[in-house]
Amino acid sequence: MVHKLSLIVNGIKRTVEVKDNEILLDVLRDKLKIKSLKAACWRGECGLCTVLLNGKLVKSCLVLAVEVDGSEIITVEGLVKDGELSPIQRAFIEHGAFQCGFCTPAFVLASHQLLIENPNPSEEEIKEKLGGIICRCGTYLEIIKAIKSASRFYQKK
Amino acid sequence: MSFGSPYFTLPEFTYHKPKTLREALELLEKYGDEAKVMAGGVGLIPFMKERLISPTHVIDIKEIAELKKLEYKKGEGLTIGATITFSELEKYQLLKEKYRALYQAVKLASDNIIRNRATLIGNICEAIPWVDGPIPLIAYGAEVEIKSLDEVRRTPVADFIKGPVEIDLKPGEIVTSIHLPDIPEEAKSGFLKFNTGSEFALLNIAAYLLITAKKKDVRLVYGAISSKPARALEAEKILLRDGDLNALISMAAIKASEELEVISDVLASEDYRRHLIKILTMKLLKELVEEV
Amino acid sequence: MTFKYIGRPVPPQDGFYKVTGTAQYTLDVELPGMLYAKLVTSTVPHAKIKKIDVSKALQVPGVVKVVVGKDFPYRVGMYAGDRDLLAIDKVRWVGHPVAAVLAESLEAAEKAIDLVDVEYEELPTVFDPLEALSPDAPLIHEKMEEYRHSPAFRPIPGTNIANKFTLVKGDVEKGFREADVIIEEKFYIPHVSHCFMEVHNVVAHYHLDGTVEIWTSWQNVAPIRQIMALSLGIPHNKIIVKIPYVGGGFGGKAGLGWEALVAILSKEAGYRPVKLVLSRKEQFTSAAVREGFYGFAKAGFKKDGRFIAYDVKFILDAGAYADYTVNVGRAVGYSADGCYEIPNIRVESLTVYTNKIPTTALRGFGYPESHWVLEQIMDKAAEKLGIDPAELRKINLVKPGISETCTGERLREDAGNPQKVLEVLLEEIGWGKPSEKPREPWKIRSKGLALFVKGPAQPPNASASAILKFNEDASIDLLIATGNFGQGTVTALMQIVAEEFGLPLEKIRVDYIRDTHKSAYTWQTVGSRGLFTDGIAILNAIEDAKKQIFKIASEVLRCPEDHLELVDGEVRVKGKPWEKIPLQDIVMGYTYPNGNSIGGPVIGRGVFMSTHTTYLDPETGQGNPTIFHTFGGTAVEIEVNLLTGEVEVLKGVQVLDLGKVINPLLVEQQVNGGFLMGLSIGLYEQIKFDERGWVVNPNFTNYYLIRIKDIPKQIIWKTVETPQSDGPYGARGVGELTMIGVAPAIANAIYRALRVKLNELPMSPENIWKALREQRPEIVDEALKKFLEFKKMVEVKK
Ligand SMILES: Cc1cc2nc3c(=O)[nH]c(=O)nc-3n(C[C@H](O)[C@H](O)[C@H](O)COP(=O)(O)OP(=O)(O)OC[C@H]3O[C@@H](n4cnc5c(N)ncnc54)[C@H](O)[C@@H]3O)c2cc1C
Ligand code: FES
Ligand code: FES
Repeated sequence: MVHKLSLIVNGIKRTVEVKDNEILLDVLRDKLKIKSLKAACWRGECGLCTVLLNGKLVKSCLVLAVEVDGSEIITVEGLVKDGELSPIQRAFIEHGAFQCGFCTPAFVLASHQLLIENPNPSEEEIKEKLGGIICRCGTYLEIIKAIKSASRFYQKK
Repeated sequence: MSFGSPYFTLPEFTYHKPKTLREALELLEKYGDEAKVMAGGVGLIPFMKERLISPTHVIDIKEIAELKKLEYKKGEGLTIGATITFSELEKYQLLKEKYRALYQAVKLASDNIIRNRATLIGNICEAIPWVDGPIPLIAYGAEVEIKSLDEVRRTPVADFIKGPVEIDLKPGEIVTSIHLPDIPEEAKSGFLKFNTGSEFALLNIAAYLLITAKKKDVRLVYGAISSKPARALEAEKILLRDGDLNALISMAAIKASEELEVISDVLASEDYRRHLIKILTMKLLKELVEEV
Repeated sequence: MTFKYIGRPVPPQDGFYKVTGTAQYTLDVELPGMLYAKLVTSTVPHAKIKKIDVSKALQVPGVVKVVVGKDFPYRVGMYAGDRDLLAIDKVRWVGHPVAAVLAESLEAAEKAIDLVDVEYEELPTVFDPLEALSPDAPLIHEKMEEYRHSPAFRPIPGTNIANKFTLVKGDVEKGFREADVIIEEKFYIPHVSHCFMEVHNVVAHYHLDGTVEIWTSWQNVAPIRQIMALSLGIPHNKIIVKIPYVGGGFGGKAGLGWEALVAILSKEAGYRPVKLVLSRKEQFTSAAVREGFYGFAKAGFKKDGRFIAYDVKFILDAGAYADYTVNVGRAVGYSADGCYEIPNIRVESLTVYTNKIPTTALRGFGYPESHWVLEQIMDKAAEKLGIDPAELRKINLVKPGISETCTGERLREDAGNPQKVLEVLLEEIGWGKPSEKPREPWKIRSKGLALFVKGPAQPPNASASAILKFNEDASIDLLIATGNFGQGTVTALMQIVAEEFGLPLEKIRVDYIRDTHKSAYTWQTVGSRGLFTDGIAILNAIEDAKKQIFKIASEVLRCPEDHLELVDGEVRVKGKPWEKIPLQDIVMGYTYPNGNSIGGPVIGRGVFMSTHTTYLDPETGQGNPTIFHTFGGTAVEIEVNLLTGEVEVLKGVQVLDLGKVINPLLVEQQVNGGFLMGLSIGLYEQIKFDERGWVVNPNFTNYYLIRIKDIPKQIIWKTVETPQSDGPYGARGVGELTMIGVAPAIANAIYRALRVKLNELPMSPENIWKALREQRPEIVDEALKKFLEFKKMVEVKK
């Protein structure tokens, strides 16, 4: 069966037709062309496909597209407001918290969400909240630095 | 034929999203063993991708209000509904205070992003030998409640899990909730997971300990050791004896490492696991008896 | 001299695109009318293909074509030339691609692969490289003599040896006769996967006019074109290879890829574009990984510590195909002596075929393997000699300007300062100072170190080039083919250009796509050579452009060229800075007020060619294999849990003689990234095979990669800067270096504390526990006793 979904993706209303067995990751990437979303395992291990689904981080390769009709989805594109990068994005650049960059959208999004939930996280907490995303280039140390330095911008809010 | 299951796409199926339990049960009755319940989908979707299961009907229970239950009643215990996620449990203060072993297992299962979707009941129904959920539940003597159109039954988690990906669930049935009995104030419980250099546990262990002048009750449960979780019954008996607790703990730990059925697999050898049983048992029990 | 950009921690210039998710990777490339390819792979390790029945697969709606190997019997490759595109008449490992399905959707293609029936006649198998060397082992490649291999290698037809590398210097037997202390050890490293996050994926479009357009997630454009041209017979200028951003490489995207196959599929599909994406499982089981490795070493020392004889045999388990691994086998061979001067040395390095996954290079290219052996030998010798391990190293370190390496290359005077590297390393780790006592008495702390040296493994004539062209506003387009897979090299290269022209960095642009048609040629970006080779080419291009600029300016300013200088984007007369002309008035040619014009658009070109490297003598291994040597060292302080075998790294130190640090932030990224990768491979990683040759852990659940929770408490790095006169600003390469010392330093730390040998990777808790139990059971018993007596568990936890 073909279902017509309507979603709000990064603040924009989108409609898309999907079959029962389609996966959210594939629909976002292939049909809605949200290419910032990456994937490396397609089975929940790497975290690169992480999106904010109705305010919660989920791995979109573990979600059926039909399930999310009417939902709000935010990806890293959604963090740019009026052409301005969010503080966490700026901090990632400044601290070189990326190498190949393939994992970066997921880490940026998860770090942003972490700071929204807790603007002043401890190192332990950062590790816990980012534990589900893999960076093979090994940028974890720079990511921690970036989060710590961006923290003050989230406290002001 | 290709080696392994190298697929990106899922096999075809029809998706259902019932709003009530009755509706869900009717669908399950209708489609029998061609149907699979989906809670978080965290286990089901990879299983379907790997073609380990290929249901033609997937019944998503997320919107069934009756299953979103998380309730503690003094004297009766704790009820956890089928759509309660690990994240919801993590935030549930009572768990931390009262059912510590479960709380610790919940915090250590997978990662925080997965926990936003994965349910505890899905974790148990998946019945993978390395998972964390069932271990503390068995230690508390928890039971699952199972419903079909014409029956409601309860069965201990320990019996519900029959083997690797094998559970005591008939076509037409659904697990609606888990019940943890209320536990005395003096009871202590804890959970340890050894997974250095591994996603899943090489060994996990939960202990429930009630040692007072009046009553003694001890349960030691182990996971990731063989086809299903197991209790170390002989070791438990040792701990019920009178005597120097520290000495009993060592004896019990050694006993546990000998009495359990343990296998070698991709994560660890039998020998190493037996050693870990000994060390982790000592560590956990020592921590529990020292706790004030 | 003070610099504006050189030596500054400039963030990588592609950050904006990466943090906004707008950086385009091959995985994001879609072409109109694109078909999806899916591989059918072998379920048996070694078999004749008797029949492939594709009729059922063709009936799946959406399936366009099914292609099998015998229709395209090409042999392809870069070094050994042993690869097929799809199995031709025989499969050689479990996971070997035998057919490819083309379909309108991935879903249809995936349905169809299940319906391709392959009938196999199984052949005897061999999984162990030591067994594969026996004369009655099954032959994996029967027609090795027909393969078109590079002259640097020696395959031995009629055996399973894909390459035999030998090196002889001095008289090793005599050396052993004179030695006072002899050490003999055996080492092992299992197969590991690169695990770059972006899987291998390719889009190919074979156009009707015979032009082939390729998009691929690969490190380098040039070898793809070269391999395709040579094997498929397509003229070079009809092959256009484009590489956008790449989600990691680590050596696993060098040499031969999937491009030739996908190009053919595109042609077969009626000239429609085709995309092939490997699943992670296929990446683990059907693409190349790092080889398995055995090292058998015998080392002889004099009482005073002099290392006088080294006899070592390396056996590389190359799997079913060894196209690139033969070069790893060569590099592991000629790097056997590490950074020590050993007068008598004999090396044999055999790259051996087995019925396992094909193999290729991985960050470090044989050097992590040779150093895993050598650096542990040093510590074991130190113990026997009663000399401190650091002191023993000091005694034997090469002396640039004086010493020869084992290939007989006299080290240039400015090759680096290994003595200084060692000194700094000792100071930073606090060598000789005891570690703090851990709170839990069943744990111990210890320090260990390893030194290393590395140069790029490359053919002697591997060149590079650069073109830089000016735009009207004196901004610059730099046309280079330098691979861009996360190392940051391009940013360093842009810094060089900005520095030399006195222009702001924003004025320098390097397109993110590498394109055989549009970028200047560079052989490959591998082996940590990018900054060195491409940097030199760029400096030459800058020189060339400056000449053109000064020529015009000298006419305009009426001043000899050598009286001019370029400062802040202006050409000035030296000593009279008010007599000047801005670059933008020159770079498109200068126009006088009356309209007369001189010069023209300025385009600089420059090359790098290594003029002193040679092939190595096939019998003795003598010659000059590399263009530079970077010396370095890693030290660690670790804590071992004697009860469980867990190791925690408390502190890691890396010291490198980089000649000149162009950008400390980029170096830090490489230091951290390399350390973590070294840690991951050292402690956790191993591809596990069962007795049928199946990989049992082809996913990140059972093949564990280091996560954020596992990082060491502290990693620091220091540099010693001994400029190399022919390097860009004196710089040398760094990328791979940072991984080499990590595993041996940890093993040495464990050995120093416990006298327990860990000659095998990974140093997983179980393997450490096993080694402890086998070699020093009393330590485990003692720890257990302390553990039981210990009262304050809860406190420790808090
Ligand atoms: C990358 C990764 C890492 C993981 N790491 C861990 C870990 O460290 N520890 C750990 O314990 N687990 C781990 N897991 C497993 C994960 O916790 C379970 O897959 C998850 O809990 C399943 O819950 P779910 O709600 O998603 O179940 P689903 O995927 O919806 O269902 C799983 C199975 O249970 C059945 N089922 C679900 N609910 C019911 C019901 N109410 N009645 C009857 N049948 C039902 C389904 O039909 C299906 O067969 C990991 C999983 C992944 C993907
Ligand atoms: S692609 Fe979803 S977690 Fe890896
Ligand atoms: S930056 Fe390459 S995987 Fe993280």
